[in-house]
Parts: sequence; structure tokens; C-alpha cells
Amino acid sequence: MKNIIIVFFFFSFSLTAQDNLLSLINLEEEPNYTSYTFKGTKVVNGQSIELPSSGVLQFNIQHRFGPLNSGSYYLYGLDNAQVRFSLEYGLKDWFCLGIGRSSSSKTIDGNMKLKILRQVTGTKTFPFTLVANSSIYFNQSTKDQIDLPSFRFTDQLIYLHQVLLARKINRNLSIQFTPTFLHYNAIEIHDNESFHDSFSLGIGGRQKITKRISINGETFIQLYNPQNNNVISFGFDIETGGHVFQLHVSNSPAMIEPLFITMTDADFLQGDIYFGFNISRVFTIKKD
Amino acid sequence: MVRQIISVFLFFFCFICNAQQYIGNKGKITFFSEAPIENISAVNNNVSAVYDSDTQEIVFQLKIKDFIFPKKLMQEHFNENYLESDIYPTSVFQGKVFDQNTDNVRVHGSLSIHGEKNQIVVDGELFHKQDVVNIKALFSIKLEDYNIDIPKLVIYNIAEVIEINVDIELKEIL
Repeated sequence: MKNIIIVFFFFSFSLTAQDNLLSLINLEEEPNYTSYTFKGTKVVNGQSIELPSSGVLQFNIQHRFGPLNSGSYYLYGLDNAQVRFSLEYGLKDWFCLGIGRSSSSKTIDGNMKLKILRQVTGTKTFPFTLVANSSIYFNQSTKDQIDLPSFRFTDQLIYLHQVLLARKINRNLSIQFTPTFLHYNAIEIHDNESFHDSFSLGIGGRQKITKRISINGETFIQLYNPQNNNVISFGFDIETGGHVFQLHVSNSPAMIEPLFITMTDADFLQGDIYFGFNISRVFTIKKD
Repeated sequence: MVRQIISVFLFFFCFICNAQQYIGNKGKITFFSEAPIENISAVNNNVSAVYDSDTQEIVFQLKIKDFIFPKKLMQEHFNENYLESDIYPTSVFQGKVFDQNTDNVRVHGSLSIHGEKNQIVVDGELFHKQDVVNIKALFSIKLEDYNIDIPKLVIYNIAEVIEINVDIELKEIL
């Protein structure tokens, strides 16, 4: 009996305390999907698992200069610039389409990215985010080339399929693995007829150093039928309001996968390093 | 016998306490920042609150991630750079009504956002009709009080004082 009195006694007071008022609110436990694994839709040159949000159009201006070791006559590469413009549009939060054009190789490319699985913690758990990316590349030709009897439109096409696996390890560090398959319909510059397909493994990551600046690194290791050197790139992502600036150095001046994965001649360690930058700006086309 | 009387008394007393509390979890909080380049607004429709009409105490709680912005990039920056919702997922207000003039009330309490707790005074309206309590309030907070720093590059994009609008309906806890 005494015990019961004591229980009621405490019960009647405890309800008046304010912390108990707070404990009456039960915030629903819900799956906590990991977001913002990378700042941009590219790690450095290659695709990242990030897509533009639904209804958002992203405009990218990419610049690559000549090699840093080209001497003062070429202002250490800055005289020699190539550019790629591209647009990416998020049709859904999990699906986007992109189109771009590179100036030096006269290549038009289109891609689509599909987010299949998301990293999640809380009531549901899954360890990484899975995205599929497919691209097609088309080399523009001059009228003289088209008039040649041997010209075939389909020879100008290159296909890329890749699976992007990324994990945000903590709020600063993210890593991504990117198994990549490339198919060239025709290769002029290599005599070897068998070179149509290439498999490579991309490894990339980012480490934030402040809230708005991160260091990114990326390489693609050619596993099957390696043609040239492997590409190695490092970059800074700097975020300012509606823009993201990406400054980077790489041993490839190319901005599209077929060129930088399999056709990188330069050797990073020999100083064949190309400086480049990307500026991206987002426009909200459709509001929810 | 005395013990039994006391226990019966206390038994009912603890139920009386319960019966004076009101709860809601679909409240709305919007905020608005007017700045030279761009106005920023966001809405959270999942605000929870509890009000105790006996003690006049009131508590609000919300998840930072539940704020929806018209522009997704703003929402990303809000969560990632300003409020750091991965570290500070919730915001809590704990206060007490200390001045009531019909429906107009003045509430004193502590507001914690971004891991910083500050004492604030809020004027609002509290309508009490049978088993429903409606609460409305409009007040302003300074970002620097909550350790939310704005880089100089975007200082013209974000106002230093943010206007907050509260609207919630609470129902009696049965």
C-alpha cells in the first residue's frame, strides 16, 4: 500500500514538469535518406551520383587549357583553351537528361542518369547509392568527310554505360566506384581492329575542407584492353550561392569519357598537367 | 484508512493533470527573409506542439529537414551550410504564458536552433475553444544569435533578421 502511494505521489508531480511536456511529442521515426554526397553532378570529369533536382536546369561551362609544362610562349597552357557547354535537366529527382558539346573534338553528347537505390539510415538501412548512367557521343564531320564514299554515320558513334556506386562515409568524406563500359563503333586512330570495347573502373572521392569548399580526386583504371595512360584528376569545388566553381588539374584535357578514359597520352608525373575549370549555374524551371 | 484516502486522491490528481494537455503535430511554421537580391521563404507543415492549460506551459518541436523551399538549391544550402541539419536535426521552443489578455498572450521561453539556446519573448494569439486550442504568432529572430554565419559573398542574398510565422491547432489529450 505504501508503495502505491509513493508511485501515485511521484506520478502526479512528474506530469507538470516541462521536459515531460516535450516527451509527449513523439517525432516519427522515418528513414533518413543520405543527401548531398557530392556538390556537383561531376566528381571531376566523370559523372557523380548527384542529379539536378526535379524541375531544375543546370547550365555548365567547362574550360580546359593546354599543358602546364608548355612554356612561357604558350603562357603555361593558358593560350590554348577548349570549351564544353552542357545542359542537364532533372525530369524527376531520380531521372535526368543531359546534352553537351565539346569544342576541340567537335563532339555532341547526350546522357541520361537514373537513380536506382539511395543510401539510407534510420528505420531503413542501405549502405550506398546506386545510379546508372548511359551516354552516346557523336563526332561531327565536315562536308568533305561526309562526301567520302567510305563515310558512315554509325562510325561516328560511341556508347558509354556505367554504374555509379557511392557512399557518403561522413558529412565530409564521400567515395564513389564507377565500373564503366565503352563501345566505339569505329576507331580510326588505332590500327588494332579488335579495339571496340573498353572496361574501366573509376574511383573518385571528395573531402570537404570547409562548409563550402571540397577537394575532389578521380581516376579511371583501364582493366581491359588498356590503350593509353590512366587519367588522374584533382579538383576544388567552391560553392557560392547559385554557382558552383570547380577548379582542377588533370593529365587529360578532355571533358568527355571516351577521350579521357582511353585516350589520355599525358603522364601526370612528367608534368603533363592541364588546368581547367567548370562553372555551373542552376535555374529553377518548374516549382513544386 | 488515511492512506487509502490519500492514494485515491493522488490517483485522481494524476489524471486531472493529463486532462489539461493539448497536442498537435500538423502545425505550420513559415519563415521569410527579405533581402536586396532574393527573398527567401520556406514552410514546415509538420510542427508538433503541446500546451498545458493548467501550468500554462507550451512546447514546440520541429525537424529542420521538413522545411520545404521553392528552390531546391536553397533547401540544400539551408540544410548543408546554414542549419547543418545532420548535426542539429531539430529545433525546440519551451515556454510559458505569462501575460494573457483575452486571446492575446505573451510567452517567455527558450528557443534552440542550430545548437544555440536563447531566451525570447513572443506575442501571439491563443484561442481556446472546448477541446481545441489554436495558436498563432509572428516574431523575428537574428541569425547571429543562433551562430548561423553568412559568408561575405552572399551577404546581400540573406537578411540578418528572419521573420517567423506560427500557426497550429492542438487537440485535447484524452
